Amino acid sequence: LESLVEYFRAQMRKDPDMASAVAAIRTLLEFLKRDKGETILGLRESLTSATDCLTGVDSSVAVSSGGELFLRFISLTSLEHQDLSRCKKVMEERGELFLEKISMSRAKVAKLCHTFIKDGAKILTHSYSRVVLRVLEKAAAEKKRFSVYVTESQPDAAGRQMAEALRKLNVPVTVVLDAAVGYVLEKVDLVIVGAEGVVESGGIINKIGTYQMAVCSKAHNKPFYVVAESFKFVRLYPLNQQDVPDKFKYKADTLKTVQNLSEEHPMIDYTPPSLITLLFTDLGVLTPSAVSDELIKLYL
Amino acid sequence: LVVENEATMPGSDKETDLTERIEAFLSDLKRGGSGTGPLRGSAETARETTALLRRITAQARWSSAGDLMEIIRKEGRRMTAAQPSETTVGNMIRRVLKIIREEYARSRGSSEETDQQESLHKLLTSGGLSEENFRQHFAALKANVIEAINELLTELEGTTDNIAMQALEHIHSNEVIMTIGRSRTVEAFLKDAARKRKFHVIVAECAPFCQGHEMATSLSKAGIETTVITDAAIFAVMSRVNKVIIGTQTVLANGGLRAVNGTHTLALAAKHHSTPLIVCAPMFKLSPQFPNEEDTFHKFVSPHEVLPFTEGEILSKVNVHCPVFDYVPPELITLFISNIGGHAPSYIYRLMSELYHPEDHEL
Repeated sequence: LESLVEYFRAQMRKDPDMASAVAAIRTLLEFLKRDKGETILGLRESLTSATDCLTGVDSSVAVSSGGELFLRFISLTSLEHQDLSRCKKVMEERGELFLEKISMSRAKVAKLCHTFIKDGAKILTHSYSRVVLRVLEKAAAEKKRFSVYVTESQPDAAGRQMAEALRKLNVPVTVVLDAAVGYVLEKVDLVIVGAEGVVESGGIINKIGTYQMAVCSKAHNKPFYVVAESFKFVRLYPLNQQDVPDKFKYKADTLKTVQNLSEEHPMIDYTPPSLITLLFTDLGVLTPSAVSDELIKLYL
Repeated sequence: LVVENEATMPGSDKETDLTERIEAFLSDLKRGGSGTGPLRGSAETARETTALLRRITAQARWSSAGDLMEIIRKEGRRMTAAQPSETTVGNMIRRVLKIIREEYARSRGSSEETDQQESLHKLLTSGGLSEENFRQHFAALKANVIEAINELLTELEGTTDNIAMQALEHIHSNEVIMTIGRSRTVEAFLKDAARKRKFHVIVAECAPFCQGHEMATSLSKAGIETTVITDAAIFAVMSRVNKVIIGTQTVLANGGLRAVNGTHTLALAAKHHSTPLIVCAPMFKLSPQFPNEEDTFHKFVSPHEVLPFTEGEILSKVNVHCPVFDYVPPELITLFISNIGGHAPSYIYRLMSELYHPEDHEL
């Protein structure tokens, strides 16, 4: 199992642009290839323990959703073929195909979203999101002129990384304090954020500070857009911030070492669907009510 | 229905006849776009477009579904370019393209579910990156497609009646209903309710074309007590109104509307007073566009309705605009009534996925 963790870490290092869910699915596919089990039930159990192991390394929602998706993929495939060895071959083929398709999902999202960025727009975004970066790259490539405000996004100041990447694209960017979101919103035309996970209600789980930004943009009547790939859809239905499981809120090392979690700062928050205008995914442009439909189609 | 006798028309004549009809339709579209009153209602446009598409299917030369779809897409692009604000043309083209896809899938024997939209489920279970290229030839495809288009035409003929039939559920006695401008759908809706109920209608005149006046005349001829008010009086009168019932030009993919100018004001006043806003819109007005295209969303017509050319002195110093449409966001709408029943604005995405295929969103 340690070799698995090593493989996962190597994947993340090799391509820092890859989503963590994709790295998790790649790792699980590798695990599937190496697995020597005889039964499908045994396979499922070992995959579940492998996923738990991976979430012990990277506790983000995306890894968990990637793992669940892979498990679902196994169940669906095993229903079609009873014989284990043939089933495994089919799984490996389809797994590779699946990975190919989802590696194109960011491009699809960018294609859908960049038309919503008008010439002269001022965009506000939160922290560092590779999908948002891709969308802004596409818009810049289409010769749109826009400027970006990025929140610093403490405690890891990921917003500065985003600003650096945007400066390389020659996009005028300003880093603002997390506390300055309300202050800057009157100047802004639209808000685009990424998501670590999209929940069943159509809400999102993202870096702490996203909920604040959503409430402020609702108050200012600015459109709040979310860009996320479809493998981030997760079977959670939180009703408020407390409902989000602790295992997602804190980093994996914190969960293992700290005794009293109430003294730690959570890394993510939940934004309810009523504050979101539209979600851009590789399955199309969805209103928040359409998300649960997609999840039902998969899991039922 | 006129059945064309193909034996009497030799091939090249058929094609020139077809091209002539398409050109006539296109010039009609280009001309009929002035805002001074629809020279043709949306229902007629939808019917004519569908009839033309049926003719193209019957008379154009094609051997596989892929060819037919290419021809229809090409003509469709020209038609939508002729009059971008007339979205029913594009909607009908997308409906017919979906019909062709379904008939093709049926001829191939595959179940219809496999040909549907992208979904997570499809991503996980599909066996290969095979692209459906519609190249197989089926003899019965032409007849099947034409039959399905005929069904679509029958559906189109019945839309206004289907909507009007639902009127009695929504309008009760002694209610005060407000509407704006002139919508044939709302007119039929109110007239149908008036046969059994007694209620009062307030019509906002909808300047500068003042179509509200024609609406009021027509409603009072049917025996409905009608009052005409100016657009500025909408907020003042709203506190006495029980329901607001409006028509629209287009229903957008997020559940918002593109309706006559003044509708957003009406919707905001209704929201402020918590008055339900009901939109009567047949299914052919549902369009897969989002309200992000600033350049194609609005249509401006001659400003002489707002400020006549006789006021020459002012004209040189002032900019005058006369927009035709308004955007109404989905949060302000309570209910959509269409020929297939009543829906909430958040359900529009589902209706869209049933009517159109995502690859046809861009023609």
